Amino acid sequence: MRVLGTLRVHRFHYLMMLPGLVLAGMFVFYPIFAAMFYAMHDWSGFTAQKIFVGFGNFLDLFLDPIFWNAFGRSIVFLVGTVPLQMAISLVLAMVLNMQLLKLSTFFRTMIFLPVVTPVAVIGIVWTFLLSPFNGPVNGLLLDLGLVSQPIDFLGSTQTVMPSVVGVYVWKWLGITLIYWLAALQTVPDEVYDAARLDNCKGHRLAFYVVLPIIKPFALAILLISSVAALNVFPLIMSMTNGGPFFGSEVMEIFIYRTAFAADDGSIPQLGYAAAAGVLFGAVLLGLTALQALAARRTRMATAGTKA
Amino acid sequence: MSTFELSRRSFLTRASAAIATTAFGSGASIAQTVPAPLNNVPEGAKFRWIDSGDQKAVFFKKFFEKYGEARGIDIIYDPLPWNEIAKVVPLGVRNNTAHDVFVLPRNFSLADAVSQGWVQPYDEFIPNIEEWKKGFPSGAFLPGINEFDGKTYGLPFTSNKRYASHLLYNKAYMDAAGFDPEAKPLTHSEFREAARKITEAGQGRYFGFIIGGSQLNRWADVVRNIGRIGGASAGGDGILDADIDLRTGEYVFDSDEYIAAIELLLAMQSDRSMFPGFINLNAPQARAYMPQGAAGMILQGPWNIPSWESQNPDFDFGLSSAPVPDSGNQGKLTISQGGAKPNTISLWSGSENGAIAGEIFHYLGTLEGQIEWANVVGAGDPPIMPEAVAKADMSPRSKQILNLFNDQIRVGPNPLVRNGEMSKVVAAYVAPDVNFARTVQGLVAGQLSGVKEQMSELKDRYNSALDAAFAKAKADGANVDRSELVFANWNPDVDFGAADY
Repeated sequence: MRVLGTLRVHRFHYLMMLPGLVLAGMFVFYPIFAAMFYAMHDWSGFTAQKIFVGFGNFLDLFLDPIFWNAFGRSIVFLVGTVPLQMAISLVLAMVLNMQLLKLSTFFRTMIFLPVVTPVAVIGIVWTFLLSPFNGPVNGLLLDLGLVSQPIDFLGSTQTVMPSVVGVYVWKWLGITLIYWLAALQTVPDEVYDAARLDNCKGHRLAFYVVLPIIKPFALAILLISSVAALNVFPLIMSMTNGGPFFGSEVMEIFIYRTAFAADDGSIPQLGYAAAAGVLFGAVLLGLTALQALAARRTRMATAGTKA
Repeated sequence: MSTFELSRRSFLTRASAAIATTAFGSGASIAQTVPAPLNNVPEGAKFRWIDSGDQKAVFFKKFFEKYGEARGIDIIYDPLPWNEIAKVVPLGVRNNTAHDVFVLPRNFSLADAVSQGWVQPYDEFIPNIEEWKKGFPSGAFLPGINEFDGKTYGLPFTSNKRYASHLLYNKAYMDAAGFDPEAKPLTHSEFREAARKITEAGQGRYFGFIIGGSQLNRWADVVRNIGRIGGASAGGDGILDADIDLRTGEYVFDSDEYIAAIELLLAMQSDRSMFPGFINLNAPQARAYMPQGAAGMILQGPWNIPSWESQNPDFDFGLSSAPVPDSGNQGKLTISQGGAKPNTISLWSGSENGAIAGEIFHYLGTLEGQIEWANVVGAGDPPIMPEAVAKADMSPRSKQILNLFNDQIRVGPNPLVRNGEMSKVVAAYVAPDVNFARTVQGLVAGQLSGVKEQMSELKDRYNSALDAAFAKAKADGANVDRSELVFANWNPDVDFGAADY
């Protein structure tokens, strides 16, 4: 009765939530449940027959080295990009947050420009920039005498992941920068004034005054950046197609290839790909839960310190 | 020798133009006729057609515009790449929103499409269809391939007689290197030497050989066809049998001929004769570099000929066979019976526009339609009727390559023709992740080593995958075993006819 009462009191608010709920149901919840359903079937996506295999696809995945390699590459990509992206953008944000810097708006715009450029365009342009045939990056390295032969950045398994990581960090640096700038806006001017009176500046100001204040934001930025770093399908497809020889095949490429793009003309495995998607989704969910837990503990610790 | 300066901007501009033209039409003058009315076509109907585009799109865009206007119907034509077709067509069928006419995804046989209820026969929409079929060359319509239970489900209007890795080369560079592949096909050693000399003359501005190395099928096509020309009698062009010697039913991945083909690529790589960054080029990008003068040779398909001739009329290029062995006899390339499977079109089971499809199908199966098709599409997707090839207004290069195909290609046995239940094996077949194409890519790009060992392991993987597919098909009730892949009476040097089954 109490629930009904609440519903009646807030009926207008719930009504306003309905369109969002319907859309989320159609485009978020339904695909999640559909993927779980398909993951339990041996199904190519072509035929009407779906053979129920229970957890068979998951068991096969656990024994599939190509899957684990792709999984590992996704984690390597995450670990390679997020700390770098967060650290560089934090330094840039602190510099650009200085009100004395005359051209800070210009620099912010320049750093943000790649964010609004379509990923596919970025990917294609960078393949030309990194090309060993007349590519400007190789041209520069050769002119500086740092290498004697052009480097095939995207054609070697040793260099392909660092190259893609570099392009990703460059592309999304601007968005993390905006997050940090927003966080820095929360530091009261009085804090800076007090620090100045105490002759606290430079790295001491950053480490002992500013960073502790914006620390709670770091967890949110870390979470957002981590989830984003696991969604790199368009960039990798446009730059390397997952190659050479699986060298940049992260989980999304693995799922796509298995579900739709068997490159030898053999039948796709939509059920198997769905299982990989569910498993990967579960890992992401776990990661998010861990970070939420860490955020909660940090908040509690901060509250404890204040008390 | 022509000098070559390729700026990034000019490359991007020209490559974009070439790709756009390939996708959306060359704009070449096309004088297509509209077929006479055959059926009662409902005025104002909306008719949808999907295929893989390329040079076909040049023909269909103009044809549909004129035909739609004449018959008062709205035609939507969607030329899409194969990976999109593999998603759009099954999804459309499942959701009851499929195109009226479609090509099947490459990994789905017409037999399966019929059994799954994707398609309907079009016999009733073509008056006197048996008479009309007589205009096609023998073997165009075959039970188990495009006919089922006496009904016709697939239209084979283009010829299967082509291969996707013949030599296209820059004549100026090749002349300077001292070779004439049109007079005599290059042997493996000559091919390597030509690539080396062109690269040397290029001094970093152009290179001997280019391949779209990120597009995996290019590696399989090149090695398979060089291996076959070298004498490895691999089977037809199906998913199962492309690399199986159909006389024995055994895979030929570890044959001397396949290994020699891979070693040729490795030798050119160690000579530094291959275009830098080839591993990240897809096929259209690699093709676009040729008319720009950035590479001297490419092993590709005939669809480049009309495209280059219309877009780059000043580009002087020659055609020849893929490399032949240094000594010994040359083998023949093998294709399956029937028209080109990728171009075989079918009528969706849910379509209410069979009358329209029937008129268009009929037209494409007349000599008039075939000649007009050949006039536009040229050697890229040659018409299935030899008479149309002879009468078509094709460029000398297009005719030259079709003559080469006639000389090099023979029709081989097709396990599906002998036993229609083999389609269940095709449907159950899942190739290994580290497949043929990837293995070659890995070897050439340096991620794998030891050609013989890798190819031997590859053979084991494929045997396991094939055995698994047979087991699954048997479990599904199919009466099949691996002896279905053995045609002991097959002579790869002559066509395998209906009487040979």
